[in-house]
Amino acid sequence: MIMLDQTTLLALAPPALVALLGLLVLIVDMARPGRDATVITIASAGLALIIALTAVIGPLPGIGLLVGVHEVFAGAYVRDGLTTLLDLLLMSIALLTILFGPDYLRPRGLPAAEFAVMLLFAITGAMLIGGARDLLLLFLALELLVLPGYLLAGYAKRDGLSTEGAIKYFLLGSFSSAIFLFGLVFVLGYTGTTRIPEVAGVIGDLVAAGGLTGLPPGLVMGLALLTTGAAFKIAAVPFHYWTPDAYQGSPTPVTGYLSVGPKVAAFALILRLFVETLGPLKGDWVPFVIVLAALTMTLGNLVALTQDNIKRMLAYSSIAHTGYILVGLAAYGAAEPGSPAEQAGLEALIFYSIAYTFMNLGAFACVAALQRRPGVTSQISTFAGLGRRAPLLGALMFLFLLSLTGIPPLAGFWAKWYVIQAALQVGGWLTLLAVLAVVNAAAAAFYYLRVAVYMYMREAPASAAEVTIGGATRTGLGLAGGLTIVIGLVPPVTAAIIIMAQEAAQALL
Amino acid sequence: MDGLPLLSIVTFLPLLGVIVIALLPRHNHNLIRGAALTTALATFAASLLLLVGFDAGAEGFQYREQVEWIAAFGISYKMGVDGISLALVVLTTTLTWISILASWQPINTRVKEYMISFLVLEVGMVGVFLALDMFLFYVFWEIVLVPMYLIIGIWGGANRVYATIKFVLYTLVGSLLMLVAILGLAFSYQATAGSWSGAFDYEVLLAAGFDPTLQWFAFAAFFLAFAIKVPMFPFHTWLPDAHVEAPTAGSVILAGVLLKLGGYGFIRFSIPLFPDAAQAWAPLIIVLSLIAVVYGAIVALVQPDLKKLVAYSSVSHMGFVTLGIFIFQEQGLHGAVFQMVAHGIITGALFLLVGVIYERTHDRTIAKMGGLAGLTPVYAAIFGFFVLASLALPGLAGFIAEFLVLVGTFDYSPVAAAVAALAMMLGAAYLLWMYQRVIFGEVSDFLRGLGSHLTDMNRVEVLTLTPLMALTVALGLFPGMLLELWQGPVTEVLAQVASSPVLGLR
Repeated sequence: MIMLDQTTLLALAPPALVALLGLLVLIVDMARPGRDATVITIASAGLALIIALTAVIGPLPGIGLLVGVHEVFAGAYVRDGLTTLLDLLLMSIALLTILFGPDYLRPRGLPAAEFAVMLLFAITGAMLIGGARDLLLLFLALELLVLPGYLLAGYAKRDGLSTEGAIKYFLLGSFSSAIFLFGLVFVLGYTGTTRIPEVAGVIGDLVAAGGLTGLPPGLVMGLALLTTGAAFKIAAVPFHYWTPDAYQGSPTPVTGYLSVGPKVAAFALILRLFVETLGPLKGDWVPFVIVLAALTMTLGNLVALTQDNIKRMLAYSSIAHTGYILVGLAAYGAAEPGSPAEQAGLEALIFYSIAYTFMNLGAFACVAALQRRPGVTSQISTFAGLGRRAPLLGALMFLFLLSLTGIPPLAGFWAKWYVIQAALQVGGWLTLLAVLAVVNAAAAAFYYLRVAVYMYMREAPASAAEVTIGGATRTGLGLAGGLTIVIGLVPPVTAAIIIMAQEAAQALL
Repeated sequence: MDGLPLLSIVTFLPLLGVIVIALLPRHNHNLIRGAALTTALATFAASLLLLVGFDAGAEGFQYREQVEWIAAFGISYKMGVDGISLALVVLTTTLTWISILASWQPINTRVKEYMISFLVLEVGMVGVFLALDMFLFYVFWEIVLVPMYLIIGIWGGANRVYATIKFVLYTLVGSLLMLVAILGLAFSYQATAGSWSGAFDYEVLLAAGFDPTLQWFAFAAFFLAFAIKVPMFPFHTWLPDAHVEAPTAGSVILAGVLLKLGGYGFIRFSIPLFPDAAQAWAPLIIVLSLIAVVYGAIVALVQPDLKKLVAYSSVSHMGFVTLGIFIFQEQGLHGAVFQMVAHGIITGALFLLVGVIYERTHDRTIAKMGGLAGLTPVYAAIFGFFVLASLALPGLAGFIAEFLVLVGTFDYSPVAAAVAALAMMLGAAYLLWMYQRVIFGEVSDFLRGLGSHLTDMNRVEVLTLTPLMALTVALGLFPGMLLELWQGPVTEVLAQVASSPVLGLR
């Protein structure tokens, strides 16, 4: 019998409440079908409330009812600084996506309620990953995250592209889940436990006894399988092939969600698994991460340069950003254990994920807003003259593009800054990786600016449809744009996020 | 005036104008133009206020401001001005209001966005000159890119998209590597000092110094960023494209201020922070400068397009700047800074003049012109004045600058001085030949065909050029004013180099 005392309840509240909210929305939709606006209001207001509540629960630097680390269910789930930070980020992703969804779905005759429900369930899974301290829970949460994702990708079920993308996503997704599970089994077999701290302890002893070369081959194989599985989930090159098709086919708001939600969750998984569990083995996996990072950002950018479809372009751009985030992980991995650079790498990873979330979601939301009227394609040429047709939307898209390019003082710049800084602290190979990252960033400017060229330097064709933005989208765009500016430009906010990232990183080490 | 953050006011006053313009009705063009001009003039006035309380010739920075920004990394908002930066700030604020005035008639589409871009550009440019925190400097440095990208890309000529993307990509490659170097310096400082506090502070880093290997690499990264901006041969290929496609006022700012960001960067950051590496690199840079000086002049000689000719003349003139900087010699450095100011004024004016003729003919081909002296006498006179100024006629600003650089170069190496002097002769050749073809001779059929469209300069155009003429004469006759202004920092920079022996770098 598990005692549900007050602390336990508080620690569990955020994911539990999101799941309950999902159920509530489902019930409301069954009782009163077709009331999309009501459902969206309930879902978004509910999420906003849970976000506020999570911030109150903490632990966050300086605030929160909880302080320090709280283990629940005999240590299977933990609420620490990282869990709360990830919860807040993931719920913001869900909230923004729910705001962006209806404007796109309604004109296409797609129901908004189920969309919100699936998002809420997926995010529950993601939030559970963030706090998982047990490999089994980690895997279950991962599946809870991705299953609704497959449905969302195929949400426009009469659209061939959407179905095709969903099937690819589903096949490769379940394939990678299986690989990942296989790896977990190996780890379980060699360590005899699924509790993350215990696994880490056993591996630590093994490394202490025999060094990295003395590890049992099965464990090394398990590690390889886990790395592959995780690389699939974050869409690192060469495990990225599902991304462009899944992104292009999905309804645009779903694409936006897919480009950030599962990605942030997969990085949460990496933090819990590779850093917390397999940290002692980092000497073994870091060479792969360095190569993955270099390949991912370079290939992502090079292919993005040639895309004419904005969703595909942003898909490849998100692959490139995965590469930059991996530089943070590589910095952690390559740093001396216990050195400040180790923590800096993790901070960079977390900070980048936060900045990336808002700017990328914002960029996709602009695409979705432009495509509100069915029939507007995803060609970059649809952006022609947007600066004049819809000045506000154009300006916002320009803002997100600048931030993605990494122009100061926007959020994206700080993210790059953080990653490069962490890599330089480590030095050696990581310096080269940092230089590669900035060369990539310069190359990326080309395709981001190409969109700006269409928006501001080309005239719209006479046939271009009028662009109208709905209220919910407007709110969401305002939030994403505001955060992209504020995180970069308002010193207390930047500092607060840096401190949150620092505390979250400390929780892992 | 104590306690008034004058530097921040000069830097961010244009933002106030941006906000006002953003709220004005889109279609009232004259109101928008007026607001922009008022803002620019107010900023100009504020920058002149700096001169009033400035202790000319003093070493170190004045009007200091410092506020913590991101304490966790020792990043602060730190501003300060010395003689060199003050001169460049005033140059910037002057050229900005002149450019806005010069855009009054030519720019008729998206006036609101244009004026906003221009004022944001001013914030970035002034900020670069005043920032004393490496991070802050980088932020301003990158901010400059965005409005210029829009100005060339939206209001530029036929091939504007190609030109603007080339401009951005070139600059971005250089500046991002500089960012890596800035972070590398900060981390190296943090590792030695044990805390992030002051790791981005220019003066703290200056006092700390760096080991020669790090200096060498950091210098390389900074060099790339600045050399692209100047632009030095062989990094200059973006410049002709950007100039030809940019609207007139964009060219004025590009030549007048943006190129100076590179020269300023060398003087402010590259040399004092990396004195050993600077000396190791100097011979290469001097050779590149001499190539730029001669190559720019030769290429200018054969340009069929007026604007391209002036653009290549910039490559040649800016070669004098880098030459003067890297001979590490007092007259040379004085001359380099003077050249930055003089080139800003004179070339800015030449671009305005090219713009005047382009407005009327929609053509810049030298071969199609001819006999303008009789058709537009005022234009011919003013154009003649600036052509003479550009070829360094004694008594005008350009002469002082190039003369000082030549004197310094002679001290360094008579051969180098001879090469540079040769380039000055070439300068006279391409400028006078161009002037002769455009202004004198028979009126060309092309111009005759324009009939009454070809009017002489109007009052606004004369008004934009008069202050530049006055400055050219004043600085030519009384160069002491300026030389005295930046005597302090010039001594400081040279002392930095002199106190560090050339180390055996590989």
